[in-house]
Amino acid sequence: MSDPAARDAVTAAFRDGWATVVATLIRVTGDWALAEECAQDAFEAALRHWPVDGVPHRPGAWLTVAARNRALDRLRRSTTEAAKLQELALLSEPADGLADGAAGGVDDDRLRLIFTCCHPALAPEGRVALTLRTVGGLAVPEIARAFLVGEATMAQRLVRARRKIRNAGIPFRVPPEHQLPERTAAVLAVVYLLFNAGYTVADGVAPIRGELTAEAVRLARLLARLLPDDPEVQGLLALLLLTEARRPARLGAEGEPVVLEEQDRARWDAAAIAEGVAVLDRPDG
Amino acid sequence: MKYLMLVCVDPALDQADAGTDAGTDGEVPIETWVAETDAAGTRVLGDRVRPAADATTVRIRGGRLLVTDGPFGETKEQIAGFDVLDCRDLDHALEIAARHPMARHGYLELRPFWVE
Repeated sequence: MSDPAARDAVTAAFRDGWATVVATLIRVTGDWALAEECAQDAFEAALRHWPVDGVPHRPGAWLTVAARNRALDRLRRSTTEAAKLQELALLSEPADGLADGAAGGVDDDRLRLIFTCCHPALAPEGRVALTLRTVGGLAVPEIARAFLVGEATMAQRLVRARRKIRNAGIPFRVPPEHQLPERTAAVLAVVYLLFNAGYTVADGVAPIRGELTAEAVRLARLLARLLPDDPEVQGLLALLLLTEARRPARLGAEGEPVVLEEQDRARWDAAAIAEGVAVLDRPDG
Repeated sequence: MKYLMLVCVDPALDQADAGTDAGTDGEVPIETWVAETDAAGTRVLGDRVRPAADATTVRIRGGRLLVTDGPFGETKEQIAGFDVLDCRDLDHALEIAARHPMARHGYLELRPFWVE
């Protein structure tokens, strides 16, 4: 297998699988920092191995197992009692619960991750940062640049959020039925805020900001798939898609805003419009 | 997990209203809340405390013991009582706190116990 093809496979696996790998490790070990570091290591290992050994049959499962083994290595070197308990939890987790394809398991873990990142007991800026890092897989410097703060500030924000989750006992789970509407609203607020942060700035940092809107759309799509019966979720996805579709035509050659009537509609993203309209047309949407 | 729940008075709200919402929007009397949480084993301990005027603050600065009259904060909000809750997690504690009548007439602050 050629190098670029293997690289593309890793990139694709990262897009599809990052959140799953992190979420699974968090569920089993309860350690957010460990989960992120080991997921990072697993993707780096994929970059080394896949060009040589070929892309595995089930990339997601390969990555999750690699991340788990990495976590076991680290925990074994630690002597604290908490580490021993985490090691036991990892060892007793059936392979099916770790690998992708287990019935409902992957989606459940990702939903748990999203809801926990957007828990109302976290500071709003912490929710946004944690969602981008843990669900979206963006690197700390990228997130810092997108929000125009220093890397150290952003890293600190993430540390504080993870610490609050652990110390305050914020559970890693999808909220029960009676809390779901309220908590889903909190998740949607984060997605909407992300999109706005990417949409409102026009110049200078535009490429990174564009990534924010794309990430918001990706999250909305994921939520729409995970919560297919929630009309609020479907509505937000449609709104983001239809707004994002007009982005290429929003600014003129000098970066000046172009009003809707004068926009070159040929530059609108037809695929995004079609997807957005299809979401709105769903009979139950 | 254990949480210290501080029951605080919001001076901006008229305390005379306390209890008048009972039954209309799901508010329960404090006696019900205590009975429920005690029965469930969620409430480890709890009581009312005397107002801030009767508080004494203790600190040592520069090796000297300073004992001052009044609460530690300058805030007008006052701690009226406390409960020690033993809950599964924060979501559980939030539900217990939301059912306390002072969630409507003041506010509740949840502090997890320090665990190493």
